[in-house]
Amino acid sequence: MKVGLGILILLVIAWITASVLGKHTRTNSSTPTSLQAKTLTIAQNADADTLDPADENNISTLNVARSLWGTLYAVSPTGELQPYLAESYNYADDGKSISFKLRPGLKCEDGEPLTARDAAYSFERAADPKLKFTGNATGFVLPALGYEGTRVDDPLTFTLLIKKYNPIAIGLISEMLIECQAPYEKMTKEQAATHPVASGPYKLAQWTHDDRIVLERNPNYTLPAPPYDRIVWRVIPESSTRSAELIAGDVDIITNVAPDQIDVINSSDTAKIETIASTRRIYVGFNQSPRFSVTPGGRAIQNPAVRLAMQYAVDVPTMCEALLRTPCTRAATMVNPINDHTGIAAFPYDPDRAERMLDAAGYPRGKDGVRFELTMQTQWNMYGDTDVMLAIGQYLTDIGVKTNVQMMDASVYRPLVRQRNAGPLYFQGTGGSTWSALYDMSDLASVDSGTNYTNWSDPEFFAGWKQLENTRDPAAQQGILNHMLQVFHDRGPWLMLFFQPDIYGVSNKIHWEPRPDEIITLN
Amino acid sequence: MGIYMLRRLSQSLLVIFGVTVITFFAMHLGGDPTYLYVSERASNEEIVATRAKLGFDKPLSVQYARFATGLVHGDLGTSLTYRTPALAVVLKRFPATLELTLFALAIAVALAIPLGVLAAINRGKPLDGGIMLIAMFGQSMPSFWLGIMLILSVGLGLRWLPISGRVPLLDPLFDGDVETTIQNLPLALPYLIMPGITIALFSLARTARLVRSSMLEVLSQDYIRTARSKGLSEFRVVMHHAFRNAQLPVVTMLGLEFGFLLSGVVVVETIFSWPGVGRLVFNAINHRDIPLVQAAVIMFSLVFVGLNLLVDLLYAQLDPRIRLR
Repeated sequence: MKVGLGILILLVIAWITASVLGKHTRTNSSTPTSLQAKTLTIAQNADADTLDPADENNISTLNVARSLWGTLYAVSPTGELQPYLAESYNYADDGKSISFKLRPGLKCEDGEPLTARDAAYSFERAADPKLKFTGNATGFVLPALGYEGTRVDDPLTFTLLIKKYNPIAIGLISEMLIECQAPYEKMTKEQAATHPVASGPYKLAQWTHDDRIVLERNPNYTLPAPPYDRIVWRVIPESSTRSAELIAGDVDIITNVAPDQIDVINSSDTAKIETIASTRRIYVGFNQSPRFSVTPGGRAIQNPAVRLAMQYAVDVPTMCEALLRTPCTRAATMVNPINDHTGIAAFPYDPDRAERMLDAAGYPRGKDGVRFELTMQTQWNMYGDTDVMLAIGQYLTDIGVKTNVQMMDASVYRPLVRQRNAGPLYFQGTGGSTWSALYDMSDLASVDSGTNYTNWSDPEFFAGWKQLENTRDPAAQQGILNHMLQVFHDRGPWLMLFFQPDIYGVSNKIHWEPRPDEIITLN
Repeated sequence: MGIYMLRRLSQSLLVIFGVTVITFFAMHLGGDPTYLYVSERASNEEIVATRAKLGFDKPLSVQYARFATGLVHGDLGTSLTYRTPALAVVLKRFPATLELTLFALAIAVALAIPLGVLAAINRGKPLDGGIMLIAMFGQSMPSFWLGIMLILSVGLGLRWLPISGRVPLLDPLFDGDVETTIQNLPLALPYLIMPGITIALFSLARTARLVRSSMLEVLSQDYIRTARSKGLSEFRVVMHHAFRNAQLPVVTMLGLEFGFLLSGVVVVETIFSWPGVGRLVFNAINHRDIPLVQAAVIMFSLVFVGLNLLVDLLYAQLDPRIRLR
């Protein structure tokens, strides 16, 4: 009896083991090649928060959203603004309205025509205060545009009304996702967050939160579409797991590869590393807030000569090579190189010069070798590697600026930065663009601007914005920009570091190149 | 019994209330969460407007009172990240965590009890030493390391098991779809094995040690000597007389162990991309999604309280000498 029971248990265990291992092996080996070729699997570290086109707010969400919804204009990988759902636009002479002509024959996911009314609704819905949206469209794009309202002129033409001429309006509009009015009018905000109705090349097939989003080709999309029938966006938060999945051939593209995984992926037979200098500017901010001037260090960095001296203390290329395992060039100004026409050279690494300049500025080394002390606040593992922040602290300490690096959790650090209370030194990265120098400079659009985290108030720099408002001559505009960037370079509030190297892992089965603006496109 | 349960339930309500108060105010210690919910380029006006939209412009006491009122009505608010009801978000992830926890507990119990008994009846012998060495190894190994080693060896090296992800098992069952659960079982098991072992190992080691010490205590009792002197087989002495009495502390421990596993799977869920509550709460804390954290904390509190109550009741069933007052 007991022997029989034992045999039965063994048989059950054997069956389960065989079925488990057999299933997995079959899944890997018997998937038809043609199906694999038409499915692209991308692993990101985070899930989409919401699939409401009016409420998108982070890059993981936006990457998925851009497969679901079209925009009037789109930014090419090299920074050109290209027609997408719209075929042309026309600025009014007074600059207070822009009319867009939609392409004919566009359709929503449900097969209904996509018209000027839908485009106008996309702006109206994001601006509706009753819906209390907090995403990028409501919180940044519409206020930055100076949005006043919309007007539908005919089924294919709608006009966007803005407060005044805006030289970066078309670039901003490339961030507005166009949705279809009829289905969204019927949905509650909660339904809209999880039941997208597409206007782009793909539609939602499955969303298992924190696991995967599966998109299928949208049969009603009438424009040229990427070559894949299905896009699977997997959520794999742990970097080494993402790398293992890539090497195993289970995913085709992975984002945010950790520097220590680069050699592992490159030495595999199945995948390779693709890196690109992104548009995100990485810098150390010198916070000029009076709250920091009570300390000798906080007072010292109010002096432009001190800030300039400290620029020479950090060996940025070596730091990238050694710690991020990726070559990078040092940023010269706050504008991405593609739009930087100033000719300003990046600061070289010259610690002796830094020391001489600090001596000359009236901050000699004390008996303990310290000129003054500073605290550098930062977030754990921000932009890839904690070691980078520790290295910067050491470089500054080497020139006599004793720097204490204070790491904190993102949920504490980010509000501190946004309230302009991080510092006196803080480590930060800020998104830029490939399509406009002005967009990059808008971090410091005014002394009170939300992104002026340093409380910098140089009158000569900020006077430049007034001058820009009064001219539409491109050459004159460029002259003003160049002067502002020279001021920023000479006495600015950022210790210039690098443009964030974005590191992707890509399967050898596909050909894919990353873009500098962190967006994943599939063409 | 009824009075006992009523008293325990009222104590539990107090505990849950205390937990919500502490969580609520702790989540606000890091400053204004509004900044985590606006575009990085939002103007000051937009930040002020968003603060009002999210309700963070009100005094903390008013915010808590609003939350508590909602709680009484079963409304835990809307997740700031997912823009959907917070409780629904947590409940949606709960089956994944429950399924992983149950699987890990099953592995732990299935192996820990025989190992603990074997070690006890072979006290001082090489087998005892070997089992205790393995137990010490299991307790000393960090789960994040073990998880990654399993991924690299079993998942990537041998390609025996999938590296990450999940096939739902309990979700269709909770929806009343038994057929899909049965269909998914062979597909789901490969995904469960590596995270299940990673979680189970620590618990297995701890439980095996407890079973051993509990058995050793019982085996030295007079009634065991009496049983042996009556000529009973060693198997009958160990299983019917010793183990039955040795399982009391083990049952208590397993109740707590289940709660511990349920709430402590965050690392394993992250490594194996398991879409469970642990990862959800971890992300919610990072984003200071206060309604979501509150919903998860309340749910976990209820589970803990329920488990403790269940263990107490089970205890009385296992040992007739114990009466609940």
